[in-house]
Amino acid sequence: MNLNAEGLSKQYPRKTGTANYFYAVNPLDLAVRSGEVAVLTGRSGSGKTTLLNMLAGLLRPSEGTVRLDGVDLYALSDNDLSRLRSEKTGVVPQGGSVIDTLTVLENILLPAQLYGRALPVDAAQQWLERLGLAPLRDVRAAGLSGGERRRVAIARALAQDPVLIFADEPTGDLDDENTRLVLSAFRACAHENGQAVFIVTHESDALQYADRVYRMESGQLSEA
Amino acid sequence: MKRFSLSVRSLLRKPGRTAALALLTAFLALAVFGGSVVVLSLRNGLNSLEARLGADIILVPSEAQSKVSFQNMFLQGTTGAFYMDASVLDKALEVNGVEKAAPQTFLASLKADCCSVKIQVIGIDPETDFTVQPWISRSLARELGNMDVAVGCKVEAGVGEIIRIYDQRCKVVAQLESTGTGLDTAVYCSMDTMNALLKAAEDKGVSHKIESGDQVISAVYVKVRDGYSIDTVNSQLTGRLRKVTAVRTRSMLTGVSDSLAGISRTVTALIVAVWALALVILLLAYALIIRERNREFAVLRLIGASRRMLSGMVLTESALCGLLGGLAGTGLAALALFPFAQLIESALNLPYLMPDAGTALLLAAGTVLLTVMVAALSSMAAACRLSRVDPGTALREGT
Amino acid sequence: MKKERIPALLLLVLSLVIAVGSQTFLSPCVHEDGTFGACHWAGQALLGTGAVLAALAALALCLSRARAGVYLSAVPVCALGILTPGTLISLCRMASMRCRAVMQPAMIILFSAALLCAAAGALLCAKKESGR
Repeated sequence: MNLNAEGLSKQYPRKTGTANYFYAVNPLDLAVRSGEVAVLTGRSGSGKTTLLNMLAGLLRPSEGTVRLDGVDLYALSDNDLSRLRSEKTGVVPQGGSVIDTLTVLENILLPAQLYGRALPVDAAQQWLERLGLAPLRDVRAAGLSGGERRRVAIARALAQDPVLIFADEPTGDLDDENTRLVLSAFRACAHENGQAVFIVTHESDALQYADRVYRMESGQLSEA
Repeated sequence: MKRFSLSVRSLLRKPGRTAALALLTAFLALAVFGGSVVVLSLRNGLNSLEARLGADIILVPSEAQSKVSFQNMFLQGTTGAFYMDASVLDKALEVNGVEKAAPQTFLASLKADCCSVKIQVIGIDPETDFTVQPWISRSLARELGNMDVAVGCKVEAGVGEIIRIYDQRCKVVAQLESTGTGLDTAVYCSMDTMNALLKAAEDKGVSHKIESGDQVISAVYVKVRDGYSIDTVNSQLTGRLRKVTAVRTRSMLTGVSDSLAGISRTVTALIVAVWALALVILLLAYALIIRERNREFAVLRLIGASRRMLSGMVLTESALCGLLGGLAGTGLAALALFPFAQLIESALNLPYLMPDAGTALLLAAGTVLLTVMVAALSSMAAACRLSRVDPGTALREGT
Repeated sequence: MKKERIPALLLLVLSLVIAVGSQTFLSPCVHEDGTFGACHWAGQALLGTGAVLAALAALALCLSRARAGVYLSAVPVCALGILTPGTLISLCRMASMRCRAVMQPAMIILFSAALLCAAAGALLCAKKESGR
């Protein structure tokens, strides 16, 4: 699996000042490789999440391309891109990203259910146990704490067995023990299963699990 | 199917929201179905009255003067008895331009032991009658025999049952179809039976005798020959017959049809008002609900739901709400209108003939379909707006 | 409030409407001469049936045991109420009379709704029993 970004940038209209647009992400080239954990750090507002969203097929770039095994993501139709997202990527976004009306297990099985694929019940159970969520399996997500919701989103991303895992501040709401648990799980995914993991964080803890570290400053990417 | 079950689950797990949306659409269905049934029943009633008043002119004794009370006999089934000499019929037939003339004789029964009202008994001449007889023929293949009666649909008496009128035993031989008019509460018999009943009434001290003779009738129904002016024939009849009033049926029907048009206008205005209000609320409600669920939809996009899928899910949910509301609203309207049709008829004071089961079912199905479509369409705008946004942007906005 | 008590509350409200209604706003025909027609006795029977139903509903509301049985016993009482006006006790012969135009349809609807409540209550209790 190869994910390559070429000349990728994102501009937003400026509300004040003389120039009409500003770069949230300056034009950049980047490759995300299988079997590696890549960690992107940087200060808040530096453009990390924007870059992650563009790489994950969630945000159309202003310029440049993102190719997954040679396929230009943003040249695909919405239907094809959505299917590809569902089959190949697992995304853990910032903030709560579970559906409150569903139970924990239903949330985890949802991506497969949307496309009528076989439900990964065993994998779901396994991740629930690994992330300490097994007792909450049938609890409605509305009643979960911030940390629990975050771990459910992680379990949902991992249970689909995607080739690409994107995580935006995955340990933001977690205590030290759970942070270690989650980050080792990501590392195991990359090193044992050969999945590509791309983590955005501003916590230094994550760096020790990284195979490659990038820094982002005012939309400018550099490899550390 | 999997996505459908997701929509159903989403509705079931937010029962408050679902109930509120269903309630709104229920109002729409209630207004449309209820309004249409009332208007349709009034139209049916008018048509039925027109058919039963197949005459152009009705001659009644001047003592029955007030057209209003005569009209009430048809509209509400109030009893009335007034008599004139039977020779009026022959005199009417002699008038140039009269094609048919048929007599009817009315008698109000004494209060029957069953209930506190008098029943109107109407005697007809089966051979010449062209207004009531065709209607009786639909329920009774033969002519009414001696002491036989046919009862209107609102008189509860089974075929074969004996009812007593002035202590005379009359056999019920037919129950007539509903007309939605006052004729439904009357009992019909032949002139011979009527004469026997008149005599019995006289024996009981209820006098109907008039000075001129024994043979009495209450009204003559006149049909004007094609090519003759009804007004001319009317004035000829009035000129020729003394102490007799000629009532033009058209004027009676016009009165009824004017009231009907008034009610139709009110009902239509009401339906439009309810729809306008409910539509605005529905559009606002969907816009707000979808905004509130922004995060949920962004998550769905994130895990691979396409725009089309998302719009489909929103439309399915709103259509299901519409279906629920449509069924509830139509059901409620049916529950209020069908069992209480008689009460509505009395309150409106107009001929009121409910549509038959087939038409009512068709109307109900149409109403439910309409509400489903309207509910789905009103969520469409919000669904479209939702699917235009990139999931990444939606996630950020929804945080 | 326990789920199984909700139908009892509804049943109580309905039965009170039936009992009070049968003598007031849903009453049978009033004869001008002060005599009583058959429909008057139907109205009296409905008052009695409504009162029995109200007692059963109150029992279902207060009792903690045997609630399912009380609900079940309300079902035939409701059926009796449905059949009373017109079938078991005859009404006036004219459909336009108050007893036939108002009392009968209203009572049939009210007793049918009560029957549904009683059945729902019995079902909820049975579900709870089997869940134990």
